[in-house]
Amino acid sequence: MRPSNEPLVWAVFSAGGVVLALLAPALIVLTGFVVPAEEVAFDRLFDIFDNPLVRLVLVGLAFLTFVHAAHRLRHTAMDLGLRGAALPIAVIAYGAAAAATIWAATVVV
Amino acid sequence: MPGPLPRRSSALWWNRSWRYRVFLLRELSALFAAVYMVLLLVLAQAVRTGEGAFEDYLEVLQGPVLLVFHGVALLFAMLHTVTWFQAVPKALPLKMGVRRVPGIQLIAANYVALAAASAVVAVIFLA
Amino acid sequence: MTSTTSTPPSTAQRTITLELFRYHPEQDTEPRFQSYEVPYRDEWVVLDALNYLKDEVDGTLSYRWSCRMGVCGSCGMMVNGTPQLTCSAFLRDLVPGPIRVEPLRGFPVERDMVISLDDFMVKLESVKPWIIREVDKPLSEGEYLQTPSQLADFRQFTMCINCMLCYAACPVYEQEEQFLGPAVIALAQRYNLDSRDEGNDERNELVWSKEGIWDCTFVGECSAVCPKHVDPAAAIQQAKVEATNGFFLSFLKPLGRR
Repeated sequence: MRPSNEPLVWAVFSAGGVVLALLAPALIVLTGFVVPAEEVAFDRLFDIFDNPLVRLVLVGLAFLTFVHAAHRLRHTAMDLGLRGAALPIAVIAYGAAAAATIWAATVVV
Repeated sequence: MPGPLPRRSSALWWNRSWRYRVFLLRELSALFAAVYMVLLLVLAQAVRTGEGAFEDYLEVLQGPVLLVFHGVALLFAMLHTVTWFQAVPKALPLKMGVRRVPGIQLIAANYVALAAASAVVAVIFLA
Repeated sequence: MTSTTSTPPSTAQRTITLELFRYHPEQDTEPRFQSYEVPYRDEWVVLDALNYLKDEVDGTLSYRWSCRMGVCGSCGMMVNGTPQLTCSAFLRDLVPGPIRVEPLRGFPVERDMVISLDDFMVKLESVKPWIIREVDKPLSEGEYLQTPSQLADFRQFTMCINCMLCYAACPVYEQEEQFLGPAVIALAQRYNLDSRDEGNDERNELVWSKEGIWDCTFVGECSAVCPKHVDPAAAIQQAKVEATNGFFLSFLKPLGRR
């Protein structure tokens, strides 16, 4: 019987699920609608996104979100009958999550 | 004489009932979350680059494509939130002493946390 | 697919149409559907209609049933595409018909509505669904005591009647025959959570493996169709949490057990 490494990604998937459930609706409303409505001044936005703590949280949020999405969509692909390509799909999904997280880190540095 | 009819499977199972289709939408919420995260990071990058870069990106944000995207992403995010909270009492049943905490109370606690988290985010941007 | 209609003797009463999945391996290479008219009675369930057909119209119909009261778990079939115990599926909830009855989805079909149980039986036994003790207490020392609170931890998962509706509802099992599946994992949890049991490690070697809980994507349909409210989906999510805790704890422990 193969012992599974799933718990590792499942833990990150779950943490991402919790964080997204709590933060995503408010964030989308603010940066998707309130910011475009020019209700938040540039100086305020600069203070927010230049804050070291916010930058740390942002890269953490990005990591959790990307792994969450990669894991969920990989399993969705399995459910949709793509089990024959399980390995390439896993490589692409988690590879994309890793690349996106590295990019996120360069953005906030 | 031929034997039993082998088991069959269809990749189109999700089209059989609305419950299956809601499940598939729930899973697809992750795609919208990931794309939104990219947009949030692009905003962060533009803001930190300077006012000019921000003004440029603001115009893109104000365009119809991203407004529609954020609307759809918000609906998916809410679907994720609701279904995730529904799952909490199933995955993490809680006992206080000898009594099992009713699932509805665990779900309610999650909505309280959602309100608190949303308020913190709103204060950071607006207050 | 051929279709023939047999009308019951009395034509005055109301009837309802049943479209039955037929497969007789000695004559059919492909399944076919056959339509029958049966008398409509408010108090009849689909199983009553099947028994009427078998007794009065077509003795070649094959299906499993026993208790007629939702306890034995034998008479599960797809009723209009949803897995149901046919002894609990009232005709009055399915009017005006036709009612399409098929064998449970995801299993090989032996004959008509009779599916092969082999895969399920092997899996059922594989999780050792009995109380395991490291050292059995001698009878003279009496029974293993359990508080009502300890019983409440797993009682829900004891209600399973092995009807396999949850397997027929599970798209993951449909795609992946290796998947241990809802009822078997719920039963493993039933014993893992029993305060009298000491067999978690033996069971979890399988339950926590790739073929165990990790293919489950929490569609939740297993719990929706369960006639006994076992909630196998909850059992699987709880097992995932425990497996994840176990995975990380195993790094904290010295070389001893891993």
